[in-house]
Amino acid sequence: MIKKFTTKMRDPKERRLFYAIFGGKMLGLGLCFLVMLGVSAYFGSTALKAHADTGTATTATAPATAAAPAAPAPVPDPPYCSPINTMWVLVTAFLVFFMQAGFMFLEAGFARTRETINVLLEGIVDTCLCGILFYLWGFAWMFGHGNGFIGWGDSSGHTWYCLQNLGDTYESTGVATLAFFLFQFAFADTCSTITSGAMLGRTGFWGDLWYSIGVSGFIYPIFGHWAWGPDGWLNTIHPAAFHDFAGSTVVHTIGGFIALAGAIVLGPRIGRKFKRDGGGPMPYHDMTIAAVGGVILWFGWYGFNPGSTLSAMDIQGVARVAANTTLAACGGGLGALLFVYPRFKKWDCGATINGFLAGLVAITCPCYWVSPFGAIMIGLIAGVVVILGVDLLEYLRIDDPCGAWPVHGLCGIWGTWSLGLFATGQFGAPTPTGADNSAGAIVSGLFYGGGWNQFIAQVIGNAAIGGSVFIVSLVLMYAVKATGTLRVSKDGEIEGLDLHEHGGHAYPEHTAHQS
Amino acid sequence: MNKIEAIIKPFKLDEVKEALAEIGIQGMTVSEVKGFGRQKGQTEVFRGSEYTVDFVPKIKLEIVVADEAVDRVVKAIQETAKTGKIGDGKIFVIPISRAMRIRTAETGEAAV
Repeated sequence: MIKKFTTKMRDPKERRLFYAIFGGKMLGLGLCFLVMLGVSAYFGSTALKAHADTGTATTATAPATAAAPAAPAPVPDPPYCSPINTMWVLVTAFLVFFMQAGFMFLEAGFARTRETINVLLEGIVDTCLCGILFYLWGFAWMFGHGNGFIGWGDSSGHTWYCLQNLGDTYESTGVATLAFFLFQFAFADTCSTITSGAMLGRTGFWGDLWYSIGVSGFIYPIFGHWAWGPDGWLNTIHPAAFHDFAGSTVVHTIGGFIALAGAIVLGPRIGRKFKRDGGGPMPYHDMTIAAVGGVILWFGWYGFNPGSTLSAMDIQGVARVAANTTLAACGGGLGALLFVYPRFKKWDCGATINGFLAGLVAITCPCYWVSPFGAIMIGLIAGVVVILGVDLLEYLRIDDPCGAWPVHGLCGIWGTWSLGLFATGQFGAPTPTGADNSAGAIVSGLFYGGGWNQFIAQVIGNAAIGGSVFIVSLVLMYAVKATGTLRVSKDGEIEGLDLHEHGGHAYPEHTAHQS
Repeated sequence: MNKIEAIIKPFKLDEVKEALAEIGIQGMTVSEVKGFGRQKGQTEVFRGSEYTVDFVPKIKLEIVVADEAVDRVVKAIQETAKTGKIGDGKIFVIPISRAMRIRTAETGEAAV
């Protein structure tokens, strides 16, 4: 590179161009510095003035925060209602819901034009179905008291089917139960949408409906109860309790493995040739919406992870989770980008999108308990793992158009395990009134002197849920296949699902670009 | 009258249009097409793997001119559309038996 530069500089025209550009850059930098100086001088003077005025006030508050207790304030007598916690859960629920838009964009972008309407409508209908099913029995099964494997209602045995007999707030969270219901519906919706990413392009719409009912109505609430139910059996295993803060296992591993089962039972799209047979991935149709969709998912994750504190009062916890979420995404994006670059000397946009999403999936479990440094490491490793996962599916001749299994399934496993490695031993649990960092609640990982216990618990919990889900979803997919509705006919697939199932084109005016 | 059909690389369209305007050509029809010749498509990268795209996007220009203008037009297109790399395209000349201007119903060379 230096040789190229010196030979170029021998040409006087090139030299002049270089001086002009370099001079321009220096001028630009100089202007930036001047602006920075000016702005800071202005604000500095007003801030200093304000500080001087309230000097006594600021010093007075400092001792109070320094003497903060290790245990949070006790929860007041029931019924405990926390407006701020409820608002927090509601707002974050709205963010998580917005991830549906991100999924729609991402999946449509990675699909071909001929199945775009199908991808979009599948996302919408899957959301609607999930809401109804979660209302009917999903919420009761997942978050009700019952036994270690399934729930049904409150601790006195009144059932919560059709959201009957709900208390004003959910357990001791202080959050209005219906707000908590909305928040958890948004999570269920995320899980069921993941599946469609691996199954697009060849799944008949009736098949879509049947497996959506299976996922949202049965698989997610039942297996999710094992980890997140008030009496879920994974909360009391040995050598340590299984922890999954926002769902690397419950949402992403479950979703990713159902996706894998679907892709396996369906088979690849017609015309799909794999790398080892001299082929490669099928082209996407719109990288713009795929990339923006990915970033919308990143934005929604700011509701997904921080909202899982269910408490706006654990301010350090909420902030730490949000920061860790961000850094893991950054690590994942760069990890994938740089890992793929040497292959073809190209900066691969699709791989980078999968990369930062993988980082986000991975941090979803450990986000409360790791440090920012740990978050970056977890994300970086996820960025590499996801690409290896894509390569593995290609090798196994499994057609996963969006990389749903590598991003959610595989990195869901990595994220769950990573808690057992990177948990710093400083943090316990969020409670409705603050953080509980007492000795009993602390989570500590291998790299911080916590030993193997937490890691073992993570492996057990993830394998129990992931393994069972994979087997059950294979059964589900084969059952739907037996009805003849899973895969669309050969002619229908070639002419495109949009025309075959939905009677239209995604871009009716642009026939030149159809594929 | 002859129709000149030229398949060129899409980013060359503006240059070719300018060159044709300079030699006095007042109209053309442009369409977006896909194709390949000895270029045999191109290799692209997605999510860590390579794949081949058989049909490469091109632009097709269609211009109908009087006989004496044909050589000028073909030369102008060939010189501006050329990059020297594979996939530059082709030019075809097709005789036209009739032409009519719709607005005035003029026929023959007055119509082009």
